[in-house]
Amino acid sequence: MDLSINEDQTQVLDAIDGLTRPYASVPVHDVAFALTSDELDAEIAMSGFYDVLAIEELGAVTAAMVVEKLGRLPFALEAGASSLVRPLVDAELPRPWCLVEEGNLDAPVRFLKPGATVLVVGASGVRSFTATAEHVRDAGDEVLFAYPMAYLAGLPDGMTSHDVPVATVLAAWRTAAAAEAAGLLAGALASVVTYVSERKQFGRPLATFQALRHRLAEAQVLVNGVYWLALKAAGTGDAGDAAMALLHAQDAAKRVNYDFHQMLGAMGMTLEHPLHLWTYRLKALSAELGGRGEQGLAAAAALWG
Amino acid sequence: MDFTWNEEQRAFRDKLVAFLDKTLPEDWEEFSKHGPASPALTAYAAQFCREIAGEGMLFPHWPKEHGGEGLSPWHQQILAEVMWEVGEPRGGQYMNVNWIGPTLMAYGTEAQKAKYLPQIARGEMLWCQGFSEPNSGSDLASLRTRAELVDGQYRINGQKIWTSYAGLADTCFLLTRTSDDRKKGITILLVPMDTPGITVRQIPSLIGEGDIHEVFFDDVMVPLSARFGEEGQAWEIISYSLKNERLGIPRYQLARAALDRAVNTLKTRSRFQREAVRIEAARCAALTEAARIACYAIVQKRVDGLAVGPEASSARFAVVQAERAVCEFVAEFLPEALAGGSAFLQMHHQRGIVAGIASGAAEIQLNIIASDVLELPREPR
Ligand SMILES: Cc1cc2nc3c(=O)[nH]c(=O)nc-3n(C[C@H](O)[C@H](O)[C@H](O)COP(=O)(O)OP(=O)(O)OC[C@H]3O[C@@H](n4cnc5c(N)ncnc54)[C@H](O)[C@@H]3O)c2cc1C
Repeated sequence: MDLSINEDQTQVLDAIDGLTRPYASVPVHDVAFALTSDELDAEIAMSGFYDVLAIEELGAVTAAMVVEKLGRLPFALEAGASSLVRPLVDAELPRPWCLVEEGNLDAPVRFLKPGATVLVVGASGVRSFTATAEHVRDAGDEVLFAYPMAYLAGLPDGMTSHDVPVATVLAAWRTAAAAEAAGLLAGALASVVTYVSERKQFGRPLATFQALRHRLAEAQVLVNGVYWLALKAAGTGDAGDAAMALLHAQDAAKRVNYDFHQMLGAMGMTLEHPLHLWTYRLKALSAELGGRGEQGLAAAAALWG
Repeated sequence: MDFTWNEEQRAFRDKLVAFLDKTLPEDWEEFSKHGPASPALTAYAAQFCREIAGEGMLFPHWPKEHGGEGLSPWHQQILAEVMWEVGEPRGGQYMNVNWIGPTLMAYGTEAQKAKYLPQIARGEMLWCQGFSEPNSGSDLASLRTRAELVDGQYRINGQKIWTSYAGLADTCFLLTRTSDDRKKGITILLVPMDTPGITVRQIPSLIGEGDIHEVFFDDVMVPLSARFGEEGQAWEIISYSLKNERLGIPRYQLARAALDRAVNTLKTRSRFQREAVRIEAARCAALTEAARIACYAIVQKRVDGLAVGPEASSARFAVVQAERAVCEFVAEFLPEALAGGSAFLQMHHQRGIVAGIASGAAEIQLNIIASDVLELPREPR
């Protein structure tokens, strides 16, 4: 057992901090449901931060740390699938990567656009194709999630089959979603903590009301738990660990999502405050792979048969 | 006890539903996605309210002397449920008929009643409620927008925020400070929104277009006759208004309709067999029905002519729990509904998330439950 962050990992995380500093806050006039930046994505890709899994000294745990770290940014980046799933399947296929359940093709797909790699996972195995315009149906401009999203208009006849077990991909997918959720939760929590510490009512900071303090403290416990379970799942590659990590992440998201907005009062209903950039991504992740119930079943099956 | 509507109540409900069927445009669901205070919906609401007023159903609970039918609070609840269930085609008018009108009846001068009540009754007026300020939300009594008497007129300076409907309203029910006494220094002014010196800025929000605003008052002058009640009487009057409208809007009804809709969609997509989904749906239903019955218990008190106390806060929080659960259910199990897939569920989601904040934050309700229902000792100050 060794839970310390090693020097290589510290270097990676520090480098990401440096690179993303200009993107740590939201452009003042950019009020929208989802915030994206192609330049930021390109810089991270070019610096190789989506590729740390394959580097021997770094590996999957570092990849999960990267995904978590990037999740804290207000910008939505396709980091999870690229960092934790792509290297197991075919690192040469183009980004962004979109993960799709074969049995649930109705769902909106994060980051789907022409040129994306779509990985279809399910009873027929692990297959992929590169999306073109005909595979993508626009979701319109009223998507209530803070990710760019689109629908699959259909699957092409010829998809590339990959020789990797479905269970392996599912575990990596769950780990990626959990790591991303850990970052989103941390980003959202930090944003609420700042607000309630500064905002005063009844002559005192909101943060001095125990009614809010305990809920925020409890949120900290959940966020910390999700962080470690995600790293552990990345480290072990175990199906049960991955299912528990995503279950805990989705549970935590459900617990805090509404509550965080609540603590901001009406300010939490605006697009001017960035909180929704984290919470409305968490909402989307709460539906990932069927939601808490399916994660619970997967975890129980892995743990106790 | 009887947990069903009686024949007369059912007939009243059916009549309203039939009126909606006949009146709402075919694309109403798509249309209702516009925020409740958007220009599109407000324009439609004005037309709708004239029509429903024509049928005598805009305010059947008002006393006969003011043009109503003197029907019971049950009818008021049924009316609100039927409207809210489809996304409130009355727009901002529910505020007029539920509390502004009755408050005018109770505290208005004859001139104010004569000026405003007939317009409200015809469904022709849109009000906004200028209470909250940037530094005075839950702590409303700390508000600072000043009104000073200058040469027989009030001069208003200050800022309001989160004001629903401000962009299109005719008149603002405005709380101002006329002296330093925390609660007794607050005075209500009825201010025409086209008075020079008023600036309105829309706030982009998660809940749809046009709903919330900032309103700035720079040397806005109104005559003495704009004062509503006496100087310093605002707190007493708004306490009365709130009592009149303690329950707020029957959000449980829309939440339940949204839940039923989501379940039906899941069924048609063969996704309602999974136990996890079924159990969660049932949990949501229990929450909406718990909220409904808690609200009904309050309505019963009003029907019986009893004072409504802090238990109204308990009912309101039950509504918050129900709204939250249904919003989360849809996000978790039918995410496509929130990504262009269902105008109705999207409309519900956008409105549902404000349940714990609009018209008083939930924590304040919880404080009332703790102090006045449970009678817990208060926190030392
Ligand atoms: C959609 C919408 C429409 C609105 N329309 C109007 C309108 O038309 N007119 C109008 O005047 N206002 C309107 N409001 C404002 C609304 O009344 C306020 O948002 C509400 O009173 C809360 O104030 P606040 O937003 O400043 O939150 P704050 O008071 O800053 O509260 C933030 C958080 O701190 C908590 N908190 C505050 N005090 C305590 C305490 N003592 N103990 C524990 N927790 C506490 C709150 O419960 C909340 O969770 C609207 C709000 C919304 C969201």
